[in-house]
Amino acid sequence: MIEFDDVSVRFGAAEAVRGVSVAIPPGALAVLVGPSGSGKTTLLRLVNRMATPSAGQVRVRGEDVALADPARLRRSVGYVMQSMGLFPHWSVARNIGTVPALLGWPQPRIAARVEELLALVRLDPALAQRRPAALSGGQAQRVGLARALAADPDILLMDEPFGAVDPIVRRELRAELTRIHAATGKTILLVTHDPIEALELATHLIVLREGQLVAAGEAAALAAPPAAPFLRALFGPEALALRRLSLLRVGDAALDGPAPDAAPEIAPEASLAEAWILMQERGAPVLAVGARHLPWSALLPR
Amino acid sequence: MTPAWPRLLPAGLALVALIWGQDALSLAPNRLMPGAPLMARDVLPGWALLSLPLLLTGAAPWRGAPLAAAAALLVLLAALGMAAAGLLEGAAPAARATLGAAAWLALAALAALVFWPGPARVLAAALLALGLGALAWGGVLDGLSLAVEFHARREAVAAALLTHLWLSLAALGLALALASMLALAGLASARLGAFFDTLLGGVQVVPAIALFGLLVPVLAALLGAFPGLRAAGLGAIGATPALIGIALYLSLPLLRALRTGLTATDPAVLQAATALGMGRGRMLAWVRLPLGLPHFLGGLRVAAVQAVGLVTLGGLVGAGGLGALVFEGMAQFATDLILLGALPVVALALAVDAGLGAMERRA
Repeated sequence: MIEFDDVSVRFGAAEAVRGVSVAIPPGALAVLVGPSGSGKTTLLRLVNRMATPSAGQVRVRGEDVALADPARLRRSVGYVMQSMGLFPHWSVARNIGTVPALLGWPQPRIAARVEELLALVRLDPALAQRRPAALSGGQAQRVGLARALAADPDILLMDEPFGAVDPIVRRELRAELTRIHAATGKTILLVTHDPIEALELATHLIVLREGQLVAAGEAAALAAPPAAPFLRALFGPEALALRRLSLLRVGDAALDGPAPDAAPEIAPEASLAEAWILMQERGAPVLAVGARHLPWSALLPR
Repeated sequence: MTPAWPRLLPAGLALVALIWGQDALSLAPNRLMPGAPLMARDVLPGWALLSLPLLLTGAAPWRGAPLAAAAALLVLLAALGMAAAGLLEGAAPAARATLGAAAWLALAALAALVFWPGPARVLAAALLALGLGALAWGGVLDGLSLAVEFHARREAVAAALLTHLWLSLAALGLALALASMLALAGLASARLGAFFDTLLGGVQVVPAIALFGLLVPVLAALLGAFPGLRAAGLGAIGATPALIGIALYLSLPLLRALRTGLTATDPAVLQAATALGMGRGRMLAWVRLPLGLPHFLGGLRVAAVQAVGLVTLGGLVGAGGLGALVFEGMAQFATDLILLGALPVVALALAVDAGLGAMERRA
């Protein structure tokens, strides 16, 4: 869906991105993570030509973005940023309808779409006529998300989308994003400097340091040991282990052969993290998974 | 709430002028000769004393103060008008009864109390306008030399007022077109913007009269080289040099306001507009212009008031307007004629300022 092919970006003497090659499959929720100054925002902005590569090629839907019309490309890709940038002189409804208006949709269709989106991001329809200044941080961020989704783009770019809201709202919005991603199947590329957020959201992780790719791949595979030293340093060993447990399913780790009679039952779709919590609560070293069994040793990295 | 005591200042001035002022009215043998000064207490009818309690209530800190001040002003003006008519009785037909410095000072001080910022100001202004209309309609003011001059010049004043309005609007429109082009160029290149700013700042340093004088030979040479321009209605003297010169002056406040308004937009908002796929034109029309509107209106207000004032100087190069009356009066040493030109200019400038100020607050 999105491919970076040996891409470098140079700002004057400084090289923000150095020879990055990575591909993001359709439907992924790919998280770009790394310390500040690692070039993750620049990499994100290459996708809708808000930045231009000094070398290499960026392809979106198989086409080189350098050949695309920038305005048309941007209207086809949703964009959410930390500071939101809502238009302060427009109502919430008009903010959300910006891209449809740019695309020349008729008014009734825009109004209907705005109503749909308010429901999708779970905003009170009564807010539609308010100005952005009257919104809370969380509400404003939901409006920003709705605006990015307005013309139903298949790709959504999010630059530190939850950076400006408090931790409780952030947790809520992350859950909301996971839900919307599952419901819409869009390809999402999200930038964060928060490793925990990255591990919680990502189906795919792209780890950057000083403009270079450190690691990229499916989140579960990257979180499995032996993780690269930089990954361990970035995420911390505990978070990495916990995340791995929450990504792997019981059905994949269960061993053949029945469990002891008293063993508690767990569904094969459950995560290893849930299995571990059940073991702790029941004091049971083995769980029953249908006709198979899951000993606690199966939770350990092999 | 602002303190009440500053209102005592104009009230005190009015009192001092009315009690001790040497020149409330003067009777002159004709419109050009200076007359013999008369004090208020010697010439005003007894009922004029009614304006004193009204003046005091007009200075007091209460809601109805501007209304009382307006009433005081109307009573005083009526008394002055009656006194003038009395003076003229039996005098030669060319004799004129003219308002003196003390009367002007008292009237101006009372007007300040009427328009003092606060509640009931608009109501008081309406009362004043209504009262003035009634006094003029009833012929109470006909004895005053200013009214005599006005009756003699009624058509000329009306025509000059219209010309003045037209010239102000045309100069403002011309300046707006010039400033918009320069501001857009400045948006594309910050260096160019700073250059235009300096250039127009330089124009401000040239005195208006010198600039008009400079434009006359330049335009004459231009018209000599391209006679077609003359056919298009341009001339080396008259409205053309005045409009060009005034537009150059007005361009600076407009350009400054446009530049501030266009560049003050929150960078995050501009970035969002870019990311959503707005082109330059859309970003200007949908984001930069509406968000800069309060700045633009502020600049427009300054420029419009300046336009009304500067067009007065256009009378010097034959552009007409109220300035022509002022300069004609100055040439004749006819104070009433000067005032006949100047008072509408002041009223016009105040009205434009108040009107655009109200728009600015709403934006």
